[in-house]
Amino acid sequence: MLDFTAVIAQLPRMAAGAQTTIWISAAALLCGAALGLVMCAARLSRNIFLRALAAVFVSMFRGLPLLVVLLILFYVPPNFGVETTPLTAALLGLTLNTAGYQTEIYRAGFLTVPPGHAEAARMLGFSRLQIARHIFLPQIFRVTIPALTNEAVDVVKSSGLLSIIAVTELLRISQQIVSSTYRPLETYLVCGLFYFLMSTAVSSFGRFLERRLTPKPA
Amino acid sequence: MIDFTAIAEYAPAIGRGLLVTIEICAVSLVLGLLLGLGVALLARLPWLPLRWLIRSYIELWRGTPLLLQLFILYYGGPTFGFLPTSYQAGVLGMSLYTAAYLAEIFRAGFEAVPPGQVEAARMLGFTKLKIVRHIELPQMLRLVVPPTTNQMISIIKESAVLSVITVPELTLTTTRIVSETFVVVEPYLLLGLAYWSVTAMVAFGSRQIERRLVRA
Amino acid sequence: MSVLRDIGARDAAIQLRGVGKTFGSNTVLKGVDLDIERSERVCVIGPSGSGKSTLLRCMVFLETYDEGEIYVEGRLLGYSISDGTRKKDSEVQTANVRRNVGMVFQQFNLWPHMTALGNVIAALRIVKGMTRAEAEKIGREALETVGLAHKADAYPDRLSGGQQQRVAIARALAMNPSILLFDEPTSALDPELVGEVLEVMRQLASQGMTMVVVTHEMGFAAEVADRVIFMDGGSIVEAGPPQRLFSKPESPRLAQFLDTWKSRNASGSVSEITG
Ligand SMILES: Nc1ncnc2c1ncn2[C@@H]1O[C@H](COP(=O)(O)OP(=O)(O)OP(=O)(O)O)[C@@H](O)[C@H]1O
Ligand SMILES: [Mg+2]
Repeated sequence: MLDFTAVIAQLPRMAAGAQTTIWISAAALLCGAALGLVMCAARLSRNIFLRALAAVFVSMFRGLPLLVVLLILFYVPPNFGVETTPLTAALLGLTLNTAGYQTEIYRAGFLTVPPGHAEAARMLGFSRLQIARHIFLPQIFRVTIPALTNEAVDVVKSSGLLSIIAVTELLRISQQIVSSTYRPLETYLVCGLFYFLMSTAVSSFGRFLERRLTPKPA
Repeated sequence: MIDFTAIAEYAPAIGRGLLVTIEICAVSLVLGLLLGLGVALLARLPWLPLRWLIRSYIELWRGTPLLLQLFILYYGGPTFGFLPTSYQAGVLGMSLYTAAYLAEIFRAGFEAVPPGQVEAARMLGFTKLKIVRHIELPQMLRLVVPPTTNQMISIIKESAVLSVITVPELTLTTTRIVSETFVVVEPYLLLGLAYWSVTAMVAFGSRQIERRLVRA
Repeated sequence: MSVLRDIGARDAAIQLRGVGKTFGSNTVLKGVDLDIERSERVCVIGPSGSGKSTLLRCMVFLETYDEGEIYVEGRLLGYSISDGTRKKDSEVQTANVRRNVGMVFQQFNLWPHMTALGNVIAALRIVKGMTRAEAEKIGREALETVGLAHKADAYPDRLSGGQQQRVAIARALAMNPSILLFDEPTSALDPELVGEVLEVMRQLASQGMTMVVVTHEMGFAAEVADRVIFMDGGSIVEAGPPQRLFSKPESPRLAQFLDTWKSRNASGSVSEITG
C-alpha cells in the first residue's frame, strides 16, 4: 500500500522547498517584529489617532484569514495598475499577519513591566528612547519568548498557504511532486514530517532561549 | 471605481457560502471540544503509552499546517480506500485539528488548578473520580474560557483553507464568483469584510463573556 | 565619600510656591508652599491619601503640577514661562533641571534584567556615556557605601527586600545627587529589614545630603529630621522640628494622627518617639 520510493527520490526537492519555507518565514517574522513593535508603540501612545490606527490594524490582521489577505494582496493591486509578484504578496501578507499578532504580544509584555521601572530610569536622566531600548525591550523580550515561539511556529505553518499563490515553498513543491508521482499520501506524509521537524526545531529553540534568559541563581 | 452592484446578483450565493463556513466551524468546534476534552481527560490516566500517544497526536497536529492535514485526508485517504467528500474531509480535518489545540488548552487548565484544592478534597474523602468531576473540571473549564474563545476565532479564520479542497464555503464561493465575472476587487474586499466582521463579532462576544466570568 | 558632592551653602534646594494638583475632580495638593534648604533633612508624615507621594513626585515632575511653581536649585521645574504663559518643557529640559535630584521608591524599582552593579552603573554608561571601567569604579564605591559590595553580581530577585532597597539607593547615589527624595523607602519591607535601610539613610544624613523622606517611621523622623511636615487633605497642616511637633502638636488633626499612631504601636509613646 504505502510506497515511499518515488517520494524518497524527490527528497532533495522537498528539502529545497523547506529551505524556501524557512527563509520566507524568518523574513516575515523579522519584518513582522519591526512592524509589530512600531504598532505596539502606536497602540500605547498618547496620540488618539495613532492608537485607533493600531487598534484597527490589530483587529484587521488578527481577524482576517491569511488566505484572504493573500488573495487580496495578489489579485487586487493589478486592478489599480500595481503589478505584484507572488513573492512580494506572500512576504507582505505573512508580515502583516504576524505583525498583527506580535503587536498584541509586545503589548501584553509591555504591560508586565511595572511603570516604576521607567520612572526610576527617568529620574536618572534616561531619554524615552533609552528607556525603551534598555529598560523595556529586554524585559519585554524575556517575558514574550514563549508567545513569540508559538507565533514563529504559526508562521512556519501558515507559510504553507503561500502555495495558493504559487510560491514554490514546501507545500507547493509537494503538490508538484504529487502530480508527477501520483503518490499523495506518501508525499504529504513526508511533507508533514518536514513541517513537524521545523516546528519542533523552532519550539526547542524557544525553550532554549527562555532557559538562557531566565536569570540564573547567583 | 469600486462598485458592488456588479456582484449584487451573487449575494445569495455569498450568503450560502457564509452559512457553510459558519456551519462547519460550529460542527468542528463542538466535535473538537468533545474530542479535546476526552483526550485531555484520558491523558490524566496513569498509563504511559497512552499519554505518549496523546502527546504525539497533539504535537503532530499542532506542528503541521491544517491545509496539509486536509490534503492527507482528502487526497491521501483513497490510498486506504477512505473516500471522503470534500465536506467530510473538511469537518474531520478541522475537528481533529481543533481538538489537538483544545486538548492542550485543557491540559494546561487542569495543571493550573492549585494542588492544594485536590489535597483538601482528598482529605475530605472525595474519590479520584469525584475530585475530577467536582473540583478539577469546573475550575479548569472556567480557566480555559479565554484561550477557547481565541481558538474559536482561529477556527473561523483557518476554515478559509477548506476552499482549497473545494468545500463550498465562503472563500471558495467568492473565488468562483471572481472567475465567473472577472470582477476581482469587490468580491475579495467583500470577502475580507465578511471574515473581519464575523471574527470581530466573536471577539467582542468573548470579551463580554470573559468580563462576566471575571466578575462572577 | 567620593560619590557624594560636597555641599556648602544653605541656599534653597527645592522651593514650592502655591503648588496645586488635581486628578480629574480630586484636588490632591492645595497651594503647597515649602522651602527645602540645602543639607536639610525633611520628613513628611500624614495619613494615607493626604498627598505625600504626589507632593514628592511633583518635586521631580514625575507628576505634573497644575498651579504654582516649583524651583529646583533655583530653576523652574517642568515649565518655561514666555510672554506670561507657561509651556511644558521637553523631557530633556526637565531632566536637566532635576539632574541633581535622586529618588528612592517604595517598590525599589530595580531592573530585574540587570545585576545589582548593572543597575547602579546603567545610567553612568547610558546617560553619562562613561566607559565600563569608569562606571564600574563609581558603581562599586556606591555599593560599598550601602554595604553591598559583595552582592555586585547578584540579580535583584536573589536579594532580600532590604538589600534591593540599598541597591536602589546606591543606584541613585552613583549619579552624585545633591538632593535625595525617598517615598516610604521601608514600607514594602519586612520589619526585620527596615533597620538596615534606615541605617544607610542615617549615614547619608550625617554626611550632609539634602533629604526629603516620606515615611511612617516616626522614630527615624524624630532622630534624623531637621523639620517634620505633617500633611492632611493636600495641605501642609503643621511643620516644625520633630521634638516640638511630636510633643506639642498644635493642630487637632496632627494630635489625632499621633494618637492613632501610638495606639497602633502600643509600645510607642511620644517620649519614645522624640527620644
Ligand atoms: N495617578 C493618579 N490618578 C488619580 N488619582 C491619584 C493618582 N495618584 C494619586 N491619586 C489620588 O491622590 C490622592 C493622594 O495620593 P497620594 O498617593 O499622594 O497619597 P499619600 O499621602 O502618598 O498616601 P499613602 O500614605 O497611602 O502613600 C489620593 O486620593 C489618591 O487616590
Ligand atoms: Mg504614598
